[in-house]
Amino acid sequence: MLNSLLRAGVAAAALFSAGAALADVTVYTAGPASLIDKLAAGFTAETGIKVEAFQATTGKVMARIEAEAANPVVDVLISASWDTASDFDKRGWLVPYTSPNAANVPDFLKTETAVAQGVSALAIAWNPASGTPKPAEWADLAKPEYKDLVNLPDPAQSGATFELVAALSGAQGWGLFDELAANGASVAGANAEALNPVLQGAKAAVFGAVDYISLNGKAKGESIEVIFPQSGTVIAPRPMMILNWSKQQDDAKKFVDYVLSDAGQAIVAGENLMPARSDVKADRPLIADLKILPLDAEAVYGKRAETLETFAKTFAK
Amino acid sequence: MARARASEGLSPTVILAAGGLVLVVAVPFLFILLQAVFPALGRGSLAAPFSAVSGALGDARLLGMALNTLLLGALVVALSALIAVPLAVLRALFRVPGALLWDLLFLIPFMIPPYIATLGWIMTLQPKGYLAQLLGFDLAAFLFSVPGIVFVMTLNTFPVVYFAVSRTVETVGSRYADVARVFGAGPARAFWRITLPLSTPGLAASLLLVFAMAIEEYGTPAALGRRAGFDVLVTAIDLRVSDWPIDLPGAAILSLVLVMLSFAAFLLQRWILTRRSFQTTTGKPQESAKRELGRWRLPVIALFATVAFVATALPLLAILATALSRTISGGLVWSNLGLSNFTAILSDSTGALRALSTSLSLGLAAALITGILGALSAYAVVKAKMRGRGLLDGLTILPNALPGIVVAVGLILAWNQPWLPVTPYNTVLILLLAYCCILLPQPVRYSTAAFHQIGDNLEAAARVFGASPLTAFRRILLPLILPSLLASMLLVFAVATRELVASVVVAPVGVSTISTYIWRQFEQGSVGLGMAMAFVTILITTALPLIVLSLMGRRGSLL
Repeated sequence: MLNSLLRAGVAAAALFSAGAALADVTVYTAGPASLIDKLAAGFTAETGIKVEAFQATTGKVMARIEAEAANPVVDVLISASWDTASDFDKRGWLVPYTSPNAANVPDFLKTETAVAQGVSALAIAWNPASGTPKPAEWADLAKPEYKDLVNLPDPAQSGATFELVAALSGAQGWGLFDELAANGASVAGANAEALNPVLQGAKAAVFGAVDYISLNGKAKGESIEVIFPQSGTVIAPRPMMILNWSKQQDDAKKFVDYVLSDAGQAIVAGENLMPARSDVKADRPLIADLKILPLDAEAVYGKRAETLETFAKTFAK
Repeated sequence: MARARASEGLSPTVILAAGGLVLVVAVPFLFILLQAVFPALGRGSLAAPFSAVSGALGDARLLGMALNTLLLGALVVALSALIAVPLAVLRALFRVPGALLWDLLFLIPFMIPPYIATLGWIMTLQPKGYLAQLLGFDLAAFLFSVPGIVFVMTLNTFPVVYFAVSRTVETVGSRYADVARVFGAGPARAFWRITLPLSTPGLAASLLLVFAMAIEEYGTPAALGRRAGFDVLVTAIDLRVSDWPIDLPGAAILSLVLVMLSFAAFLLQRWILTRRSFQTTTGKPQESAKRELGRWRLPVIALFATVAFVATALPLLAILATALSRTISGGLVWSNLGLSNFTAILSDSTGALRALSTSLSLGLAAALITGILGALSAYAVVKAKMRGRGLLDGLTILPNALPGIVVAVGLILAWNQPWLPVTPYNTVLILLLAYCCILLPQPVRYSTAAFHQIGDNLEAAARVFGASPLTAFRRILLPLILPSLLASMLLVFAVATRELVASVVVAPVGVSTISTYIWRQFEQGSVGLGMAMAFVTILITTALPLIVLSLMGRRGSLL
């Protein structure tokens, strides 16, 4: 038994030394793993500065930062929800920084302390093999042809879906959601969970799908189309920020510069996200091609609990 | 039977056990407790104590969720027992054809991560799912209902009861029942009055584990329950930890409610076990002659085959079908099938192999550590002569009730303190600590059950002949509990290798495990790649222990 103890100790020590290599810049990101991997590799190749990343959903990243608050580790945070950037700014946790490469980032995608890495938009993800007519508008999904065939991501779990629900209910009241609920639409987890049944055909469409995931699926040959309603949708910029406890602020700034450089933005576009810079092209609809619904973030997030409650009641069984 | 106890000081066994338990369980739990009391603990402040309690406990839905949690736990326990106990008893007392094969097949459901199994069932039973593609009908209405949730969770947990009960009944053997038969009892009466009651420790221990696993499981209730309007505590806890603004104190307080539920089950189990003695192992070798099934041969084979098909083959086939599909929307047609997802895994283009080796080493280390610590703790609780045994026993059950996500938060709070000179945080050691904490109850429960059946005179005899406490433990007691202990270590290995919820939060920067790898694939819409990784993992985690055990020549005792 002592032998096993020894062996376990040796194994543990080996694991320890493997994980202990310290990075120069630590990035926590809610973005796709492949995106941060490519950005980190490109940045290290250009500058020689090492990057380590922790990737999870926005919620899990935030939980980790909250728990770590006494002794924080993260230098650069990339969230999938602008709300976190405003909140962190209010708490005074952010370093003001304007990257020289942010000159071509539109004003609504940057503040003194945060700048978008890229942008996704919410859309209807529709399966053309579902035997339903191609929808053009949000309201189409409440029609009888889509009876029991529509999925909505849960706005309590997806920040972007919350903004869509807030924007639509703010503009036109809860009528559309009542109709959707009456038509048998169901609320299904976060984004990926809502999309999967649509791919297999159990459902015909996602109401409010994050566009780049569906576009990536389409590129892989999935039977899925991404439709941006003419009446308008919301965008989900992914704010990138430097934390004021960072001991590597110069390297962190260089990382932000790199993400906003031509090379960095090309990597962002390669993942089917919209680049934050308006002068970088991408093979997908860009912000200028979409109608964006107005959203007063202060007011909307002030009423967050209320909105979520109304939504939950609307779709309660 | 009254136990003869010599009075003596603390043995090194007990000190080792207590130290290990404090490090692995008490430290993170203490910080969860502190977090519940002091909302700003994460920022190093003790301001506004208890200010979060009324908000978290004042939630109008709390009572409903607590009742749902209890209901779910009770139903999963009942159905697990209903499926597993008859199979286990048949396996233990009769010569079941293909016994080793059935053992292997019942091991696999435990190797399938619950979130993967659930996704597999969704893809099989939902409209236009695999069942509908093959046979033209779907069972979505059943799947997205409380019975559906219980069904899916039971398929994942019944092996715990099956292995524990078949091993215990085997140890009890038929000798005691034979005595009853000699005195005129019928076979049924001998079984109900002698064999089954003597097997209570294994049965009670495994049912307690199943209950704790069911109320702590996140993936299945989250994926199926929301559609059924069935909310449980774990989903509410997860929402508090994943939804901005993060509510760590609220999550900690709800976790304490969950801990209390689990503790109630634990006290019930302890009350059952302490009412009488179950000592059956006297040191003499057991005669392991099993009875023939006779004309029940075919029905019994059919029973085993049905359970194996539903619990093992169906989910495995669903996982394999998804992994082999080029696209999900392409469905089950030959032109859509290919090995591209598997080649992507094996070529390591996506970091899959590194994640595999990380998780396998962590699983192995966790199995060794929890195995040793579990055996020592169980000994301290059942056999050692000391005060505070109940406290130690309580510590061993705690993690069972703590949701993985809360253990993760507790570990970060505990080990990321700025004043610590060295810390496992942000190294893979923090994952190891998390796995050891979450999984320690498995070896402890199994070993405790085994110790309850070992007579005290064996150890006393060794001591009389001059063996030190450690030697007596190592040479006499450990070999006797080894079959149970190894079985539980195997389960630890399997679960640690695929643990998701804590891993997602505490994984050090730049490290991915099997489960975080799979989860990332799902998150980004690459379901096929995630399922291919899951399939490879299930193969490895099933094969590896078997190879190790057969090399050790101990296969017969476990499988």
